[in-house]
Amino acid sequence: MGFFKGLYDYRELLKTSISKDIRGKYKNSILGIFWSFLNPLLQIAVYALVFPLLMRGSTVENYTVFICCGLIPWTFFSTAISRTSFTIIENGNIVKKVYFPREILPISVVTSEAINFVISTIIIIAFVLGYGIGLSKYIIFYPIVLLVQYFLLIGISFIVSSVTVYFRDLQHFIGIALQLLFYATPIVYAPGQIPESFQWIIQYNPMTYIINAFRDIFYYQQMPDFVSLGVVLAISIALCFIGYFIFHKLQKKFAEEM
Amino acid sequence: MKKEEEYAIEVQDVYKTFDVYLDKANSLKEKMLFWKRNRKEVREVLKGINLNIKKGEAVALIGVNGSGKSTLLKLMTKIIYPNKGKIITHGKLTSLLELGAGFHADFSGRENIYFNASIFGLTKKEIDNRLEQIIEFSELKDYIDNPVRTYSSGMFMRLAFAVAINVDADILLVDEILSVGDQHFQAKCIDKMKELRNEGKTMVFVTHSLGSAKELCDRAVWLSNGVIKMDGDTNTVVERYIEETK
Ligand SMILES: Nc1ncnc2c1ncn2[C@@H]1O[C@H](COP(=O)(O)OP(=O)(O)OP(=O)(O)O)[C@@H](O)[C@H]1O
Ligand SMILES: [Mg+2]
Repeated sequence: MGFFKGLYDYRELLKTSISKDIRGKYKNSILGIFWSFLNPLLQIAVYALVFPLLMRGSTVENYTVFICCGLIPWTFFSTAISRTSFTIIENGNIVKKVYFPREILPISVVTSEAINFVISTIIIIAFVLGYGIGLSKYIIFYPIVLLVQYFLLIGISFIVSSVTVYFRDLQHFIGIALQLLFYATPIVYAPGQIPESFQWIIQYNPMTYIINAFRDIFYYQQMPDFVSLGVVLAISIALCFIGYFIFHKLQKKFAEEM
Repeated sequence: MKKEEEYAIEVQDVYKTFDVYLDKANSLKEKMLFWKRNRKEVREVLKGINLNIKKGEAVALIGVNGSGKSTLLKLMTKIIYPNKGKIITHGKLTSLLELGAGFHADFSGRENIYFNASIFGLTKKEIDNRLEQIIEFSELKDYIDNPVRTYSSGMFMRLAFAVAINVDADILLVDEILSVGDQHFQAKCIDKMKELRNEGKTMVFVTHSLGSAKELCDRAVWLSNGVIKMDGDTNTVVERYIEETK
């Protein structure tokens, strides 16, 4: 309960750090939004050109839209995690000087990345409309899937942000792990396209189910698989508790470790 | 009925040691490689501190350099935690240990008031209400919309102090910051702290300026080699302190 009270008491700090983050990214201008869209668009273009060549024959229909639906949520996932691995150290000057609930730092990073994700969803919508797929009524489940991913990220970010204070080079390791995980998640391929012997990798990967759900909503236009999503949600919430426990233990020495 | 605690701060048998790594291994690789070789000194800074501070009391914390005064204040604010023992505080607490946390040089003084005050846990509305008061106290009206990087170091400290002192906390921890600003501003700070003391705020005040300790505090605690050497009426303690450290 102390956790929620702390967040509530320091809500202004949470709010300013999120809005500073978002404003910094978009620089209050249309051009800023354009720049922040350019990177995912280029990535989509590259994958859409290269991967059909690699996977001769077995292509997915409207492959560009297919990639887009996977890549945008993935970018949310990987940017949030790599940014939380720096956040405590980056804010070392305030961590050393004042008391405030330290968990505000990872939470504000994940939250501002979630807002960025919602803004980037414009790209997905532009693609499904542009390719004539259209929007379905299943879009009402979008907030639910987003919430599942948000909890998953909060749980991971508690662990990542606190452990990296003690082991600085973990940041590089996380960067590499995220690159590997990219290929262990059905982003540029459909789950059915990989050999039976590798299926377990994507089956144990929670991001598989989240990306599948976003694809169900926007690309396949069907009901997401709520059973799997429920399992991921349960795991994510468990991870939030475990993560907070670890964070809470480790935060006692943050000021001394920097 | 709400229970009224008698004490604002209770320090119970607190020990604090710092591990000083002579070759700090910050990475996993180094920690693995130099598993056993990490040369480490354990520095015992506080060795069994017991201290109860009543609500509304103003206490001066004195002692030579390195005696652990700042460490004790940091423990009270929960920036660091004790190895053993417990510290309990009752009421909203503000620490003026290091001023200007969260200041961004490129933003204006006014914006920095918001950043800084939000770190102290104030809401937007509370900051709005105090804004005029803070600007007035800092006497930086003409500069308040200029970027903070154009301030002199004294002006910077004045703004930071003005924010911290106007947070409206019940407990105020102050570490040697009266050396900021010019003569006029120092006097103003002392007046403000007297005013807060008279309003019944609890204050712990670390200083080497024994004159202002006498002026502000009725009780003094002398730290020496990690233990409390003397605790009592400010005049008596300060006298002994001056005698022994001559
Ligand atoms: N992070 C740290 N790591 C290692 N040692 C530390 C750390 N912080 C403080 N110390 C040691 O703890 C001791 C007490 O330091 P502290 O800053 O509390 O002294 P102080 O009484 O405030 O002194 P001063 O009058 O100079 O401000 C010193 O010996 C210092 O070297
Ligand atoms: Mg000190």
